[in-house]
Amino acid sequence: MDTKALERLSLKLRRDVVEMVYRTKDGHPSPSFSIADIVATLYFHVMNVDPNNPDWADRDRFVLSKGHACPILYAALAEKGFFDYEKLFTLRYLDTILQGHPYAPKTPGLDATTGSLGNGLSIGLGMALAARITKRTYHTYVIVGDGELNEGMIWEAAMAASHQKAGNLTAFIDNNNYQSGGTVEEISGPYPIDKKWEAFGWHTISIDGHDIDQIKKAIAEAHKVTDKPTAIIAKTIKGNGVSFMIGENSWHKRVYTDDEYRQAMKELGGTV
Amino acid sequence: MSTRVGFRDALLTLAEQRDDIVFVSTDSLKVVRGEPFLEKYPERVIELGIAEQNGVGVASGLAGSGLLPYICTYAGFLTMRAGEQIRTFVSYPNLKVRFVGANGGLHGGNREGVSHQFVEDVGAMRGLPNMTVLCPADGDQVYQAMLASVDVDGPVYIRIGSGREDQFFEPGTEFPLGKIRVLADNGSDVTIFGYGFLLARLMEAAEKLKAEGIGAKVVEVATIKPLDVEGISALLKETKCAVSVEDHLVTNGLGSAISEVISEGSPAYLVRLGLQDVYGESGPPEELLDKYGMGVADIVGAAKKAVEHKIV
Repeated sequence: MDTKALERLSLKLRRDVVEMVYRTKDGHPSPSFSIADIVATLYFHVMNVDPNNPDWADRDRFVLSKGHACPILYAALAEKGFFDYEKLFTLRYLDTILQGHPYAPKTPGLDATTGSLGNGLSIGLGMALAARITKRTYHTYVIVGDGELNEGMIWEAAMAASHQKAGNLTAFIDNNNYQSGGTVEEISGPYPIDKKWEAFGWHTISIDGHDIDQIKKAIAEAHKVTDKPTAIIAKTIKGNGVSFMIGENSWHKRVYTDDEYRQAMKELGGTV
Repeated sequence: MSTRVGFRDALLTLAEQRDDIVFVSTDSLKVVRGEPFLEKYPERVIELGIAEQNGVGVASGLAGSGLLPYICTYAGFLTMRAGEQIRTFVSYPNLKVRFVGANGGLHGGNREGVSHQFVEDVGAMRGLPNMTVLCPADGDQVYQAMLASVDVDGPVYIRIGSGREDQFFEPGTEFPLGKIRVLADNGSDVTIFGYGFLLARLMEAAEKLKAEGIGAKVVEVATIKPLDVEGISALLKETKCAVSVEDHLVTNGLGSAISEVISEGSPAYLVRLGLQDVYGESGPPEELLDKYGMGVADIVGAAKKAVEHKIV
C-alpha cells in the first residue's frame, strides 16, 4: 500500500479507537496512537496474514507486548476483516471477543496473549524459534513500550534472541517517552535505548515512528539482516494526532467527553 | 533409573515418535542429564541460559506455534519465579506446555538447603485453572507419566526429584493418569494417602499398623489435579478417617485437596503430615523426612490418631 494510503489508514484506525473508547467508556487511547503508524504499516503493507484463515501456519506473527494499547490492534484486525467492525464496540464488555488486554483464544487474528508488561518479546522469540524448527519462513514482529524496558525479562529475551541469532525477529521500541506514572526520564531512565540494544547484540535502527516511509525502510533493512534480530527504536508521540492528548499523560487511560470526542474525530480527519 | 533420567529417556522416546517435541533449557540440560538428547536432536534443544521467566515466555510462543515444549529446571524457579508467566501466558490461553520441576520436596532438595528444596510447587500449580499436576513416585513412573500425559490438551506440571530416588514400582508399570491407585488394602480402619518418593514409608507404616491389629489402606494419589474425587470420596466413606503424607507444605497440597473432598460431602477425620508451615534445612534426604514429621513412626502415630477420632 502506498504511503499516502497508509497515512489515511492510520488516521482511520485512530478514529476507530476514539469511537471505541467514547462508546464503551474504557480503554487506553494515547498508547494506541503512538503505535498507529507502525501497526498500520505492518498489517497493511508488510505482514502476510489471511483473515479467512487466521491460524494459517505460515502467517507472519505480531505480538503487542504493551498489551494495553490493544484498541489500535483490534481496529487493525477489524479493518483487515478478521471480525465484524461492530465488534469493536463490545470492547471490555461481558462476553466480548475483545478483552481489556489481548487474549489470543478469543480474538481471531490475534497471535499472542499479553498485557502483563515485559513478556511479549519472549513470546515473540518463541514464535521466531518455532519458525526455524518447523522450517517456515514467516517473520515475527513485536512492539515493546519504552516504559516496559524497566522489566528485567525484556533483557533476558534480548540476550537470548541475539545468542540464538534470531534474524526472523524484529522488535519495535515505541519510544513515546511516557509510562503510566510520568515521563520515562522521571520514572526509570532507560536512555540511551539504542546503545542498550546494540550492546545486547541486536541490529539497531533509529527512526521517526510516525514517518511511514522510514518505517517501511527500517523493516526492509531488518529483513536483510538474517544473523541477528533487529530493534527499531521508533521515536513517537503519545496521543499523536490529537492536540489535547499530546503532552497530557492522563490520556494513557481516559474517556472522551462529548466535546473532546468531536474535537478528536475532527483532528483525525473524520466527520461526526 | 532416577526421575531425571526418566524424564530424559521419555523425551527421547517421544521425540522418536513425533516431530513437535522441543526441550527448552534454562541452562538445565545438565540437570536432566540431557546430553544424549542434545546429541540426537540438536535442533530440538533451545538453550536460553539461566532465565526461567524468559524460558516460559519462549515456551508459550513455541506452543502457540504448534510445537510441544518441555521446560525442565528446579521446581521453584519454574513455579514461583516464573509463576506469573505460567499463569498468564500458558495456563490462561490453555497452551500445551510441559513444566517439569526438579528437586521436589525436602527429599529432592536434600543437602542443597531451602533455596533448592521446593515444598510449595504442587500448591502453586494446583491453584491454576487448566493445569494438570502429576507427582510420579520414581524414575520409571516419571517416564510413564511423561508418555501418559503427552496428549493432555493444556499445560501439565510434573514433579521430579534429585536423581537419588529408589525404584518403588515394577519398571513398566503404567502411570494411572487421573486415577488413584490402592497399593495395600489391609482393612477399613484408615486410609493413608500419599505420593512421590515416600510411598515406601507408607507401606512400612501399614505393615506396622497391621501387626498392631489396625487395617490400613495405602493409596497413591499421583494426579493431584484433576483430582480423582470419586475414588477418594469412596475410600473416605469406607474408612471415615485418613492420613495424608506429602513431602510438601501441608497447605495447598494433597492434604488440602483431600480436605476439600471431605468438606464437600465425604466427612472423615484427617491428619495431614508434611511440612507444618515451616521451611526445611540441609541434610540427607531420608533424615530430613524423619525430622520434619514424615517418618514411619509419624505415619503410624497419625493413623492411630485418625482412627481414634473417626467420624461415625
